[in-house]
Amino acid sequence: MQWDYLAIVALSSLTSASVLIIATLGLAVIFGLMGVINLAHGEFIMFGAYGALIATRAGMPLVVAIVFAALVTGLFGAVVERLVIRYLYGRLLDTLLATWGLSLALYQTAVLIFGSTTPGVGMPIVSVAIGRYSISAYFLFLIAAALVMLAATYLILTRTSYGIMARASIQDRDTAAAVGIETGRINTITFAFGTGLAGLAGGLLVPAFPATPGMGIAFVAKAFLAVVVAGPVTLTGAAVAAGTLGWAASATASYLSTVMGDIIFFVATILLLRAFPNGISDRWRLKL
Amino acid sequence: MPIAGTGVLIGLVGLLLDEFLLYVATSWIIFGILAFSLDLVWGKCGFLSFGQTAFFGLGGYLASVAAINLAPLTGNNLVWIVPVGALTGACVATLVGYFIFFGRISALQGTILTYTFTLILWTGSIGLTVAVGDAIVGGDNGMTGIPALTLGLGKDAQPLGPLGMYMTVLVIAVALYVFVSALLRRPFGLVIAGIRMDELKTELLGYDVRGYRLVIFIIGGAIAGIAGALFASWATYINPSVFSIVEALLVPIYVLVGGRGTLVGGFVGSVAVGGLSFWLGGGVIGGQTTLALGVILILLVLFLPRGLIGTILHAVQRIRRRTRIPGVGPVTIMVPAGSSCETTPPEIVSAAPALETVGLSKSFGGVLAVQDVSIAVPPRGIRSLIGPNGAGKSTFIKVCAGMLRPKSGSILLNGTDITAEEPFARVRAGLAIKMQVAQVYPDFSVWHNLWLAGFARFRNEAAADAIVETVLPLIGLSEKRYLDGAQLSHGERQWLDMGMVLCLAPKVILLDEPTAGMTPDETRRTAGLIQRLAREAAVVVVEHDMEFVRMLDAEVTVLHQGSVFAEGRIEALRRDERVLDIYLGRRQSVKSL
Amino acid sequence: MTVLLWARRQLASLCVAAGVLVALPAFSADDTIKIGSLHDLTGGLNIYGIQQAQGLKLGVADINGKGGVLGKQIEVVEYDTQSDLPKYTQYANTLLLKDKAVAVFGGLTSASREAVRPMMHRAKVPYFYSSLYEGGVCDRYNFIAGASASQQLGVLLDWAAENYGKKFYIMAPDYNFGTISATWIHKYAKEMGGEVVGEDFLPLSASDFSPTIRKIQQSQPDVVVALPVGASQTGFLEQFAAAGLKDKIGIVSTNYGSGNQQVVVSPDAGEGIIASQEYFHWIDEPKNEEFKKTWQAAYGDKEPIISEAADAWNAVHLWAMAVEKAGTTDAEAVIDALESGLSFEGPNGTVAYQPGSHHLKQNIYIVRGNREHGFDVVQVFKAVAPTYEDEVCDLTKDKTVSKQFVPE
Repeated sequence: MQWDYLAIVALSSLTSASVLIIATLGLAVIFGLMGVINLAHGEFIMFGAYGALIATRAGMPLVVAIVFAALVTGLFGAVVERLVIRYLYGRLLDTLLATWGLSLALYQTAVLIFGSTTPGVGMPIVSVAIGRYSISAYFLFLIAAALVMLAATYLILTRTSYGIMARASIQDRDTAAAVGIETGRINTITFAFGTGLAGLAGGLLVPAFPATPGMGIAFVAKAFLAVVVAGPVTLTGAAVAAGTLGWAASATASYLSTVMGDIIFFVATILLLRAFPNGISDRWRLKL
Repeated sequence: MPIAGTGVLIGLVGLLLDEFLLYVATSWIIFGILAFSLDLVWGKCGFLSFGQTAFFGLGGYLASVAAINLAPLTGNNLVWIVPVGALTGACVATLVGYFIFFGRISALQGTILTYTFTLILWTGSIGLTVAVGDAIVGGDNGMTGIPALTLGLGKDAQPLGPLGMYMTVLVIAVALYVFVSALLRRPFGLVIAGIRMDELKTELLGYDVRGYRLVIFIIGGAIAGIAGALFASWATYINPSVFSIVEALLVPIYVLVGGRGTLVGGFVGSVAVGGLSFWLGGGVIGGQTTLALGVILILLVLFLPRGLIGTILHAVQRIRRRTRIPGVGPVTIMVPAGSSCETTPPEIVSAAPALETVGLSKSFGGVLAVQDVSIAVPPRGIRSLIGPNGAGKSTFIKVCAGMLRPKSGSILLNGTDITAEEPFARVRAGLAIKMQVAQVYPDFSVWHNLWLAGFARFRNEAAADAIVETVLPLIGLSEKRYLDGAQLSHGERQWLDMGMVLCLAPKVILLDEPTAGMTPDETRRTAGLIQRLAREAAVVVVEHDMEFVRMLDAEVTVLHQGSVFAEGRIEALRRDERVLDIYLGRRQSVKSL
Repeated sequence: MTVLLWARRQLASLCVAAGVLVALPAFSADDTIKIGSLHDLTGGLNIYGIQQAQGLKLGVADINGKGGVLGKQIEVVEYDTQSDLPKYTQYANTLLLKDKAVAVFGGLTSASREAVRPMMHRAKVPYFYSSLYEGGVCDRYNFIAGASASQQLGVLLDWAAENYGKKFYIMAPDYNFGTISATWIHKYAKEMGGEVVGEDFLPLSASDFSPTIRKIQQSQPDVVVALPVGASQTGFLEQFAAAGLKDKIGIVSTNYGSGNQQVVVSPDAGEGIIASQEYFHWIDEPKNEEFKKTWQAAYGDKEPIISEAADAWNAVHLWAMAVEKAGTTDAEAVIDALESGLSFEGPNGTVAYQPGSHHLKQNIYIVRGNREHGFDVVQVFKAVAPTYEDEVCDLTKDKTVSKQFVPE
């Protein structure tokens, strides 16, 4: 085995894991933390992707467009929370139904507004040579982005006063309100934070995964699996789950076919759930 | 029976419909059967399964393979597809269910596991091309040439027309409904409902919840398999899209739209959603079918959260409840002179301890909550277990009950090692536990709460009836027997929980802070009840209330930081400086020691 | 564009649209001939479905404008199958039992076709499938208007070998279209003395192309035959370009462009990709300009016309010709007429039904992606016969066969 072969396998597996982590983080916040089954998560990613697209076509540089996408998706998430989600806390199954309806509506609205095909933004054609192989520089950027997103989310939720209030509101709304936390407003912000992360994912991924109304579907299934396999320590657990499963699938895909990679992803999920009936982070002592 | 009547009505309606509508409506009934299978597993038993479409699809495929190869011989293909569909669904459900329920996988993870299973089937079947006899599994292009529903016998039997198919499928649906309704009568249905409301409590009454869940899951799988077989025969075609995410998500949607747990809800939801999207696809609002469906769902959730049928049923119930006998009266607890609590003949009291732990330890991560605790409790009498907060009392109790696995050590019940036993097995062997927070079934009446416990013990309806009547006066809830658990006050719930323990006629009773939240009056009565219980059983009482401990006047074990700190009578302990130390500054009522 | 011009265009398209809408249901049931339209107007596949339905309706308006068939106007009964297979079964039956359609047009995926085809066969109603697909269908009541995989791949691989080299890598979706196309690529590569140096099959909802790209680099092909499904798999093309592989390795495809994927792909990634189909918006054929004008007047010009739309146009015209020739809408007579060597001048040149196989002998165009989200025509292969289908299927001799043949 030559060094460049090993390096490229490692890097491309890392890329797959990073893409999954980026796509999963928003769901980890909304589903893992808030207990809201957000079947529209893929559509929020799509929302961010289109947001970034519009921004770049309006002339913004890509990095600014991505931030714009995150903000505008978060804003939209806040609206959704105010209109629909806030009536459904604690009613897990109703959130299933409501967000499914939302995903249908958002999908079709995107088709109406953008049509089924929209000119994409494309990745910068910059590649890095690894011996005889090459990898797109943008993917290396994505690996870094995934780590930054994780770290930032963790820090925001554990080190800022907003973060503490948010986790309190989620864990025990009545007690939080009793100590003077405006749980209503905080929950709106948290939901917006989660959808903002989804929008950020859309923006980050859109150069590599062109914006189409149905783009979210490819990520949602695996994101859900990762969040549930994660267990109680939501954020770190989801990162580890997404990373492990994504890496396993990618490694399998490298040696067999990509289809087998997907199947291994699912089989590994089942095995992990059997080995860790409450999720892999059941015994962990991390905060988040 | 109302459902048979409704079935006849739907059949008659069918006579009025156009042929094409009959054909389409047949598919709604078939999807209704699929949703019905989920409502059984989820609405009745509390497990959200995304695997129903997996059983549906597998049942459809295998039944079609059977039909293509064998139906030409007999003409009638119903005789093949229904059994094969049911068997396929049942077998696969057995495997998946065993994996989930006997693996003690928790609710959410179990749901995702079924979802993942369906995803695997979907991904795999799209690329699978294989011939089984005359039947060709053609990958994504599916299996064609599936014989349509035929009832006639012989080689020249003609398939049914739209009306015939509609009626046949309707009859099957009604039959399945009647079967499930009969199944869910007392006592089986009560146990299932108990598992749905509080799985832990039901296990702690002595029911093997894993087995019950598995049985329901298998039946649900069989029903879904039948639906799949009928579907393939209706469409004369089947392909891997039955395993897709979209189809898997539709099933809970049907159940929720109709009303979860109503059993008919699945059918109503299937007709409502299916009918709506069929109507919209005819170009009614310019092709924005998906958009309309999405918005309607959101509105439904916000304004009709119980689903269509559920809302109607709830309204009916509320009207009924207002006419029921109100059961508010003084709480009287009769403690008759005779031992009316006794249902087992007096045994020879052996000297061996009823409950014994040897070197029991339990840790959470790095924290050793219970350290090498060895206790022996004689078969009659009270043992009080006290200690400051965090001493490990509740953990110890839970380990004895089997809710937590010990790190090391063993537990013996009447000399038998039960360390490896599941909680329900320990309960069946005579151990009962009452947790600190009263565990009562909110949607059951007081009577049914007690009955479920009694039935768990005696496995006989008459005996269960008898013990409920005996226990009701003891806990002072005779006049409130028809109130639901949710309608009782906090103290009444504690009494009800206690009553359920009594109905188990156990030999060892573990009580975790039984007087939490009680008035002094209630506390006194609880002490009296416990002392009566202690004449026939060993009662271990974890308590904080020192006054109560004094009332019990029993052998006391003091736990501190997980280990046995001291043992003795309460009068001696309250003079012990070391005991005072560990309590000092942490409890105001240390003066009452 | 001036306001006046814009206004005139809107007015013109309004008129045509109104005409189309008014013409269709304006007549009573007895005066119209009903045909069925089963297309995915909503849901994930509507990229194709909407244009298929539009192509059909435009063709019908064209025929009606010239007097209809047998002196009567054609009425299109349209159902939205919502990218949901059971709906195909439901609406197909509705067309048969309620609307009593004399011909049915529809379906995009082979799965949807296979759900409907046996039903049409039993009901003895001609059914037209207007999309490129993996090939091999043989059924008296089924007429294919799209190209078959072997029809496209034969000429494409010849061209690729000449221009890029003979070492092929296959990137295909893991379902019938992908696996059967892969079989053909293996066959053709062997026949020409070439080699398939590697292949990867992707799930339909693929989101991870890194392993494929790495494997491509490892096997060092001259050209990748990429068959990305839907708009979401265009991510592969973006990532392929971004890895810097485009200068060393060529990309050819038989389905790229069939759903306007080139609109989605960025200019840097899309430039130079070779696609081959039976129709492209940019081909230079006598009837194409007129076709595009009529289309744009009715539907606007916001997106290029895809091959499936032209296929639908051709299909309904050929059916109408057969009805005129047979003098009746009776299925058997119409089918016999269709088998009598009917040909039609469509926007993609002459298309002619092969009597035995019910597939079209038609042109196959090789085009190259440009930087304007479009294609430039590179080469035209005229009158390419569906040789595989002609070989395995002769419905003039055996009228009862009803299956799909698969190459070994």
